[in-house]
Amino acid sequence: MPCRSDKHSARVPKLELFAGRLGIVVALLALAAVLAALKPNFLSAANLTNVVRQVSINGILAVGVTAVLLTGGVDLSLGALVALTGVVAAHLAHPGAYPLLVPIAAGILAGAACGAVNGAVVTRCGVPSFIATLGMMTAARGLALVLSDGRPVSNMSPALTRLAGDVAGIPVPALILAAVAAAVAWMLRNLRLGRYLYAVGGNEQAARAAGIRVQGVKFAAYLLCGALAGLAGVVLAARITTGQPNAGVAYELDAIAAVVIGGTRLSGGVGGVGGTLLGVLLMGVIGNGLDLLNVPSYYQQIVKGVIIIGAVWFDRCHQASGKERGV
Amino acid sequence: MKRACVLLLAVLCGCGRSGDQGARDARPVIGVSLLNLSNEFVVTLREAMASHAKELNVRLIVNDAQRSPERQVQQVETFIAQRVNAIVLNPCEVEASSPAVQKALAAGIPIVNVNSETKAVPSAFVGSRDEESARLGMAYIADRLKGRGGVLIMEGYMGQAAQIKRGEGAREVLAKNPGLRLLAAQTAEWDRAKAVTLMENWLQAYGSSIQAVFAQNDEMAMGALLALERAGRKKDVVVVGVDAIADALQAVRDGRLDATVFQDGLGQGRGAIDAALRLIRKEPVEKATFIPFRLVTQENVASFIR
Repeated sequence: MPCRSDKHSARVPKLELFAGRLGIVVALLALAAVLAALKPNFLSAANLTNVVRQVSINGILAVGVTAVLLTGGVDLSLGALVALTGVVAAHLAHPGAYPLLVPIAAGILAGAACGAVNGAVVTRCGVPSFIATLGMMTAARGLALVLSDGRPVSNMSPALTRLAGDVAGIPVPALILAAVAAAVAWMLRNLRLGRYLYAVGGNEQAARAAGIRVQGVKFAAYLLCGALAGLAGVVLAARITTGQPNAGVAYELDAIAAVVIGGTRLSGGVGGVGGTLLGVLLMGVIGNGLDLLNVPSYYQQIVKGVIIIGAVWFDRCHQASGKERGV
Repeated sequence: MKRACVLLLAVLCGCGRSGDQGARDARPVIGVSLLNLSNEFVVTLREAMASHAKELNVRLIVNDAQRSPERQVQQVETFIAQRVNAIVLNPCEVEASSPAVQKALAAGIPIVNVNSETKAVPSAFVGSRDEESARLGMAYIADRLKGRGGVLIMEGYMGQAAQIKRGEGAREVLAKNPGLRLLAAQTAEWDRAKAVTLMENWLQAYGSSIQAVFAQNDEMAMGALLALERAGRKKDVVVVGVDAIADALQAVRDGRLDATVFQDGLGQGRGAIDAALRLIRKEPVEKATFIPFRLVTQENVASFIR
C-alpha cells in the first residue's frame, strides 16, 4: 500500500503535543497494550523503572547524535567513544584516588576532545562525516584497548557506581537523560546555534548565503555529540562497575535508529529531541518486552527489525508533508 | 607495532636460514599463528608457549592473526616458505582456517591445533572440550540447589562454537536433573552491559522463581551479579560463570560470585609445544589431548589468583 501523507496534513497542529510523532506514539501505546495484556507485570512500577533505566545510555547518545544528524552529518564513533571514555573514567575512579568530579569530568572531556577532532576533520579537512567518524571509531577503540591493556578496568569507587543507582526511586541515569534532553531541546528552540543547526542541515548554501558560519555550527554539533558520548560512557562504566574496552559495540547504530524513528531526517534539517526520546523509548520497550515474553534470541532480532520498520512506516504515513519541524 | 616487529623478525630469521642453512642455530623452529593477541586468554597461551619453548631450547616465531582467517592462512604459508620444523595453529575459524592445516600437511610440516578445532584434521590437537566447562558449572548449580529449582542460562553470541558447545554441556546436566527447571535461555552476547539489562528484565519476568543463573562467560556472570545485587536478590540466587577472568576470580574470593570455571591456558600452551616437538622428533603423539577444566569456588580460588 502506498503511503499518502498529504491527506492527513490537516491534523498536524493537534499533534504538536507528541512532538509531531503521532505514528510513533500510537506504535508505543499499541506495543505497551499488547505487552500489558500478555505480561501483567510489564506495567508494574518496578518494570517501568527498569525500562527508563535501560534506555538512559542510548538516550544520552541519541540526543547528542540528533544534533549531528540535523546538520546532515552522521557520527559512527559513539560506541567506541563510550568504551574509551568509560576506560578513562574507570582509571581515575579507584577508591580514594580522586574526588568524584574528576573521573566524570575526565570522561566527558575525553569525549568532547574526540568530538572536536571529528568536527575538525569534517569541517577543516573536508572529509565526509561517515569516513571521519568511522576512522575515529577504530582509533578510539584502539586507544581504549591501549589504555586498559585489553582488560576491564575494575576496582571502582562506590561513589561513582552510585551514578547508576536510584534517588527517591528514580534511576539516576534517567535523571541525567532528562536533564540532557531538556537542555538540548531548549538549545535547539531558543539559541541561535540551535536554529542554525536546522538551517545548515536544511540547505547549506542558503545558510551560508544568510551569513551563518556553517563550519562553526557543524563543529559545535560534533563537539556536543562527543561530550554526550563521554557522559554516556561514564554512566555505562558506573552501571557495569568497570571500564570495558570492548563495551559499546554498535551503540551508534541503536542511537541513530532511535533518532530516525523519532522523525529526524538522515539528510538533515528536520527533527528534534522530543521525537528522539520517543524513538529511544520505543526501542527500550521492545527490548524489555521481548525479554519478558522470553522470545527466543534468534526471533528477537527479527521481531525487533519488523517493529522498527513498521513503526517508522506507520509514522511516515501519518506525517504532514509541510510542517515537519518538531523540537 | 608489535606485529610489525614480529614480521620483521620473521623476515630476518627467514633470510638468515636460507642464507646459511641452520649453520649457526641448530635449534628446532616452531611457527605459531595465534587467533588474537588482544584476547586475555590468547596472551596466556603465548606466554605459556614462550616459556616452555625456552626450557626445551626451541625457537618460536609468533604471529598474531588478529581474528582474520585469511591472514592466518598467509602466516602459515610464510612458515612453510621459511621451512619451519613444525607449526602450532590457534585457529580463527573452524572452516576458514582449514586451508592452513591442509597446506602445512601437504608441505610435509607437522601442524598442531591448540585450543580450538578446524575442519581439516591436523597432526595433533591440544585443547579443552567447551561442553565440559558448562557441564562443570551447571553440575555445581545442581549440587547447590540439591537438584531442584528454577535456572536461567545466559548465552554467548548466538551461532559461535563456544555458545553452541557450552549450551549443549549445560543442557546435558539439566536433562539429568529433572528437578531443575529451565526458566529461560537468552543471549547477552558475552557482554557485561547487556547481561545487566537482561537480568533486570528476568527479575521482572520470573521474580522469586529464579534460584540460579548460569552464564556462558564471566563477563555476563558479572553483569547478572550486579543486577541481582542492586535488586537485593543475590542472597537467594546462585551465579556461575566460565573463563576465570581476573574480575570473576576477585568476586569469587570476595564471596560475591559463587563459582567460575578455569580453562587451563598454561596447560594447553605447554601441551601444544610438547606435541609439536614430539612430531619433529618423529615420536608417537596422542591425536587429541584434552586438558581438563577446573571448577573455581571460594575454597580453591586462592591458587588461581596471580
